Amino acid sequence: MWLDYPIYASVAILCWLAASGIFLSSGKKMLNQLAAGLSFVGTAFLLVFMLILWLRIQRPPMRTLGETRLWYAIFMSGIGLISYLRWKFKWLVSYSLGLAMVFLIINLQHPETYDKTLMPALQSPWFIPHVIVYIFAYAMLGASSLVAFRNLFFAPTDKIVKGPIQMADNLVYLGFSFLTLGLLFGALWAKEAWGHYWTWDPKETWAFITWMFYLVYIHYRFRHPSEHKRAMGVLAVAFVVLLICWFGVNYLPSAQNSVHVYSE
Amino acid sequence: MSKEISRKTWANPWSYREGSIVTAAILLLGFALQAAGGGIVLRVAAFPWNLIAGLIFLALLISAFMLWQKHPVIKWLGGIKAALPAILGFTFLVLLMGFVKQDVEPKSTLVRTLGLTHLVKTWPFILINLYLMILLGVVTLRRLTPFNFKNAGFFLNHFGLFLVLFSTALGNSDMQQVTLNCYENENEHNGLEASGKPTELPFEIKLLNFNIDEFRPQVTLIDNQSGQIVEQKGKGQYEMLDRNAIDLYNYHLEVEQFLETSGKVGEAYVTSNEPGSAPSAKVKVTSKNDGTVTSGWIYSGSYVNHPEALKLSDQYSLVMLPAEPRKFSSELSIQTNTGKQVTTTIEVNQPFHIDGWSVYQLSYNTEMGRWSNLSVLELVRDPWLPVVYFGIFLMMGGAAFLFITGKPKNGGNEHVA
Repeated sequence: MWLDYPIYASVAILCWLAASGIFLSSGKKMLNQLAAGLSFVGTAFLLVFMLILWLRIQRPPMRTLGETRLWYAIFMSGIGLISYLRWKFKWLVSYSLGLAMVFLIINLQHPETYDKTLMPALQSPWFIPHVIVYIFAYAMLGASSLVAFRNLFFAPTDKIVKGPIQMADNLVYLGFSFLTLGLLFGALWAKEAWGHYWTWDPKETWAFITWMFYLVYIHYRFRHPSEHKRAMGVLAVAFVVLLICWFGVNYLPSAQNSVHVYSE
Repeated sequence: MSKEISRKTWANPWSYREGSIVTAAILLLGFALQAAGGGIVLRVAAFPWNLIAGLIFLALLISAFMLWQKHPVIKWLGGIKAALPAILGFTFLVLLMGFVKQDVEPKSTLVRTLGLTHLVKTWPFILINLYLMILLGVVTLRRLTPFNFKNAGFFLNHFGLFLVLFSTALGNSDMQQVTLNCYENENEHNGLEASGKPTELPFEIKLLNFNIDEFRPQVTLIDNQSGQIVEQKGKGQYEMLDRNAIDLYNYHLEVEQFLETSGKVGEAYVTSNEPGSAPSAKVKVTSKNDGTVTSGWIYSGSYVNHPEALKLSDQYSLVMLPAEPRKFSSELSIQTNTGKQVTTTIEVNQPFHIDGWSVYQLSYNTEMGRWSNLSVLELVRDPWLPVVYFGIFLMMGGAAFLFITGKPKNGGNEHVA
C-alpha cells in the first residue's frame, strides 16, 4: 500500500502548493475560496490514503514514525484551513500547508515497509485515542509555534502581533488540553498494560517536559498579557522541546530500551 | 518595572526575584542533603506513617492558610510569581532525567553523590515536589474561598494535579510490585521484588496453560555474501505470508503450502506438534528479471531446529523470519489464603484483579516462543490508586474546561481554568 503513497502524496502536495501560491499572491475573495477548496482536496486525498492503508494492514496505522508523520500532515493542513476559515489569516494556512508538505516529503524520502504486526502491548482500546489525541495536540501546538516564529522574526513591534497572538493563545489552549488528555490517557493505559501509570520512561519524561513548557507559556501569558515577545520566545522553545519528545527521543542515549521508541 | 527594580529583596510584595531565590535554595538544599547522605536512595515511610504525614501536611496547610490568608507571603505563594520559578525548577530536574539515563549504575562519583541516576528518589526532587504541593494547595484554597462556579475549571486543574502529586508521593512506598515465574502445572507462592528479594503472596497461583497466538511469519531477501537483509529505496523489505501470491522486489512468490508448526522429514517439511516445531512454507519463486523459477522450502527455525533459506541466485536467498506474537495469554488457577478459588485467563492489556492485587501478563520464554512452558507474571498492589485516579479524572475535567472556555477573558476574572 505504501507503494501507492507517492501518487497520493504528489496530488496532495500539488494541491497545497497551488493553494499556498494563491493565498500568498491574491487578495480576491473568489480566488481565496478556490485556494481553500484546493487545500481541502489535498487533505481529503491523504485521508483516503490513510483509510485504505488502515483497511489493508489490518491494524491502526499509528505504530511507525512515518505513520505518525502522515497523521500530522493531515491534522496540520486541516487545522490551517479551519483557522483560515475562522480568523482569515492567510499566512497561517500557507505556513501550515508548508509544514505539512515537509512531513509528506520526509515520508517520500523514507519509504515505509508495510508491516502488519502489532506488538501485544499496543493492542488496546487506548491505542487509537492516545495517538490521535497526541498528534492532534502536536499539530495545534505546531500551528501556534508558527505564529510565534513569525512574531519573533518578522514582526518588529509589539503592536503588529496583537491579532495573531490571540490566535496563538487559542491554539495553545486547545493544544494543551489535548496534550493533557494524551498524557493522562497514556497513564491510564500504562496501568492496564504493565501495572504502573508512570515509570519515567524517557518518552514520558520528555512528554512531561513538553507539558511543563506549555504550562509556563500559559501562566506567563495569563500574568503578563502585554509582554508579547517573551511569551513568543517561550512558545518557540516549547515547540523545540516537543520535537525532541516526538523524534529526538529515539536518538537520546538515555532512551535505549524505551517502550516508546517507534519502529522505523 | 522600575518600581520592581527599586524594591528591596524580601520587602513585600514578593516577586519573581524571591520566587527564583526560594526555588534555587530548595534545589541547592536538596542536592546538599543528597550529597551529605552519600547518595542514598530515599523512600517515604510506609503505611500508616505516610498517611499520618499526609494528614499533618494537609492540616498545617489549611490552618496556615486560614490564619494568614491576608498575609502578603501567603498571597505570593498562591500566585504566578512563586509558581513560575517553581515550575521551571521542577522542569530543570526533569530535564536532567531526560538526559541522564535513569535506574542504572552511576558512572561517576559526582553522578552518584547527587543521585542523578535515580532522581525521583532524591532530596531535591522530593523537596521541589513538596514546594509545588504547597503552592498548588494555597492557590486552590485561595480560589475556593469564596467558592464560585466560575472557578470550576481552575479548581479541577490545580486541585487535580495537587491530588496526583500528593497521592503518588505518599502512596509510592505502599506499592508492591513483584514478578512471578510460573511454570506450567506448578504452584507459585513467592514473587520476586525488583531488588531480587522474595516476597510471600497472600495467594497461590498455578499456571494451567500458556498460549501464544502468532502472526504469520514474514519473508525477506538476504544477501548471500554478507548475510544482511537486502534494502532497496522505495521498496518494502518484508512481506507477510498471509496470502498465496506475493511480490518481493523483483521476485514473484507463490505459496504452495504453508504449515504453521512443522519439522523436517527427509527433504520436506510435515506438520508436527513436537516442541520446537516452527512455521514452514513451500514456495515457487519466479524472477521478474530473467524468468528463472526456483522451488523449495523455507523454514523459520526455532530453539531446536535450524532455519532453512531458499537460494534464488548467486546473490540472493529467500528467508523466513521467526513469527511474531499477536497475543499471549495465561490460564491461571488462583487460590487465596482467604479460601477463594478462581480460574481466569489473563493477557497483555487484560489483567485480573483480586484482593487488592492486579495480575499482569508480562513475558514468557521468548527463545522458546510458542513452546514456552514459562509465563512471567507481574503482580502489583497499589492501595492509593483510587486517589491517584480521582486526581487524574479531575485533571481530565480540567482539560475539558480548557478546551471549552479557552483563554480567560477580562484579565482572568472570568472562567479561569
